[in-house]
Amino acid sequence: MCCQGCRAAAEWIEQLGLGDYYELRTAPAPKPDAADAAHEAWQDTDSARHVIRELSADLRETLLLVEGVRCTACVWLIERSLGAMPGVMSVQVNAVARRARVIWQASRITLPQLLHALSRTGYRALPLDASGLDDLRRRESRDALKRLVVAGFGAMQAMMYATAIYLGAAESLDASTRDLLRWLGLLVATPVVLYSARPFFTGALRSLKARRVGMDVPVALAIAAVYAASLLEAVRGTGEVYFDSVSMFVFFLLTGRYLEMRARHHARDLTDALARLTPAFAERETPDGIFKRVGIHELRVGDRVRVPEGGIIPADGVLLTERCRVDEALLSGESAPVTKRRDDPVIAGSVLADGPVVLRVERVGADTALAGITALVGRAHAERPRLQVAGEHAAGRFVARVLTVTAVTAAVWAVFDPSRAFTAAVAVLVISCPCAFALAVPAALTRALGAMARRGVLVVKPDAIQALAECTHALFDKTGTLTEATLSLADVRTFDGVSHDGALRLAATLARQSRHPAARAIAAAHPAIDTADIREVMTHAGAGVSATIDGRVLRLGRSDFALAGKPLAREFEDAVLLADDRGPIAAFRMGERLRPETCAAIEALQAQGLTVLIASGDAPVKVAAIAARLSVGIWRGRMLPAEKLAWLTDLRAAGARVLAVGDGVNDAPVLAGADVAIALADGAELTQACSDIVLKGGRLDAIAAAREIAQRTLAIVRQNQRWALYYNFSAVPLAALGFVPPWLAALGMSLSSLAVILNALRIGRGDARPGRASRSPHPAAEPLAGPAT
Amino acid sequence: MNILLLLIPLSLAFLAGAVWVFFWAVNHGQFDDLDTPGLLPLDDISRPEEPP
Repeated sequence: MCCQGCRAAAEWIEQLGLGDYYELRTAPAPKPDAADAAHEAWQDTDSARHVIRELSADLRETLLLVEGVRCTACVWLIERSLGAMPGVMSVQVNAVARRARVIWQASRITLPQLLHALSRTGYRALPLDASGLDDLRRRESRDALKRLVVAGFGAMQAMMYATAIYLGAAESLDASTRDLLRWLGLLVATPVVLYSARPFFTGALRSLKARRVGMDVPVALAIAAVYAASLLEAVRGTGEVYFDSVSMFVFFLLTGRYLEMRARHHARDLTDALARLTPAFAERETPDGIFKRVGIHELRVGDRVRVPEGGIIPADGVLLTERCRVDEALLSGESAPVTKRRDDPVIAGSVLADGPVVLRVERVGADTALAGITALVGRAHAERPRLQVAGEHAAGRFVARVLTVTAVTAAVWAVFDPSRAFTAAVAVLVISCPCAFALAVPAALTRALGAMARRGVLVVKPDAIQALAECTHALFDKTGTLTEATLSLADVRTFDGVSHDGALRLAATLARQSRHPAARAIAAAHPAIDTADIREVMTHAGAGVSATIDGRVLRLGRSDFALAGKPLAREFEDAVLLADDRGPIAAFRMGERLRPETCAAIEALQAQGLTVLIASGDAPVKVAAIAARLSVGIWRGRMLPAEKLAWLTDLRAAGARVLAVGDGVNDAPVLAGADVAIALADGAELTQACSDIVLKGGRLDAIAAAREIAQRTLAIVRQNQRWALYYNFSAVPLAALGFVPPWLAALGMSLSSLAVILNALRIGRGDARPGRASRSPHPAAEPLAGPAT
Repeated sequence: MNILLLLIPLSLAFLAGAVWVFFWAVNHGQFDDLDTPGLLPLDDISRPEEPP
């Protein structure tokens, strides 16, 4: 089953009597979920006020961010399970954005009941701030769509009337019919200019107020000029009208903007992970000394809050407890917990590794470091792609030049033949419209994003397309990236007659303190619930974990770390060792397998001329085995995250453009320093939020395909821009000399835009479904004989 | 050409109607999520009339 939803759905079907084919199995009991207690707190009206919107006296609306939505079965399950509850009026689930919009009756159901229902089906839901971004965004996209369609309809109609005039001119159209058609053109073009084109006018006004000349100023000027000129001609009943051209002009420009906006919104959906990093509740101390659960927005500076072990720090503050360790991966990218002492600052969003602790709140809400990061990420996503901005600048400069040429044309004609000055000037303006320019980048980008998404490559930052096409080196993490994320314990060797089970129990107790794949494998190998007295747990990044268990100092990890420098037989150098101060207790070997796609993926990248590198924290022997298997010449083992980053920096300093692929939080620094960062979707959420591209389902082979698409996209953008430029170069002089009738101007404008769009459609065509085929069993799928840490 | 006097107002009425219908659809959320409904027919889970 791919996810909770599929499992629950399958079980439902089973319950309905269709499950005779399945083995008889009992439905899982509802998880005794700690979150259930948290749900109750939403009952509190003060907390709820922020997440519930009152639609009417009884109707309430809530937006939920639902974790674990992966496929359509999830959507169906959520809609069914919530929709079946009495009092729920409507449920809309967006699988891509992982959001559910629920409308319910306050008199018949409460928010905690809704959350309970969801958690029973296996989804954790977090109510989002009702007054949040989402509404703004919904309004933006609805507005854009309406304007686009009004422009589209207007352009079609205006074109029809204009065609009648153009054809009528060749035959004999009587003057009154011609005038009627012109007024009709005015009628349909007016809403297009006044309603659809309004963003250009407001944008132009805004940039004029800021004393800048952006793309909007010349565009707005051109629209206004052509419309005003046509209006004047319609009133005078002489000359030519260009209502068709101006409507089409607006329509094409809006199409470009709409495509660009959709790509931007989609990118933001992917990075909502950050919204989940702060908890919704905190335990605040009341004046009489007991801790009471309150909504996080109720915290004030100076409050004392308690955080349980494993909890998330709710606000920036100062530690009041003697000592604790917090995981500040959020800020530092380092997964190893940091030790904090009394009066040290702690930041919101970091995870408490041991506890509980009490802290005094110093900064809340939007002032916290986390809110700053979230805002930064949000801003980065709201920014338009560099490619796009460069394209717009080119178009802006171009339009400014066109306006100059128009003015010159009008002036020159005014000297020689004043009667034709106006017509010629307007013809220049119309034929040289920057539609093709404005469409060149968004059309290509949209097409590329779609083509990549179909291959399981989700582009979070559209800038990555350019960087991906230009990169020269690919740096891979090994454990979890080239190989599968889960290891299994292959072999246990004990020293000095220690019992196999006893060693494993100790190792598993220690291993539970770490999230390293190797530690997880050891922890999973011993199911016992330990009651051992465990203190002073320390995780050492890239080395291992140490703790005092029942008064004995134990270390688990790389051999040099566990033994603290004592010598050992070479054969155990690459094993995970458990040791105390007297010497080694046991050696563990891990079996590790390459992902099925790895071989093909590396081969494809090398075939494209990329230098593939492997940087791993693992023992050199094992890295060498994998590198040899993948024919990768350059690799380094035993690297700490900081060393990896240093290597990457050296490469970049030497002129390489580096693509980094990783999965864990410990890869975050490397990813942050790379030209293109690719994270695996089954890796850490934060790593994904910081990356440029997220790979679904660990499909490494999609990278090479994505790179091809990216290169093609860049090539096509350049082609498009060049084409738009050539077209204008050849058309403008003719228009300036007065050789271009309005029908030819309209035709030229549409054809140039059409050519740009058709050209963009070539991206990602033909090879629509690779991947699937290469998923067939590959020799690399065999488990690697070599052990791993 | 007198037929134009009937056909043109008719086409404009259609146009206004189409724009109105579209605005209604947009305002009622028909275009808010263009991805999920497209996926729904693809899942081959049989849908019970009433979930238990």
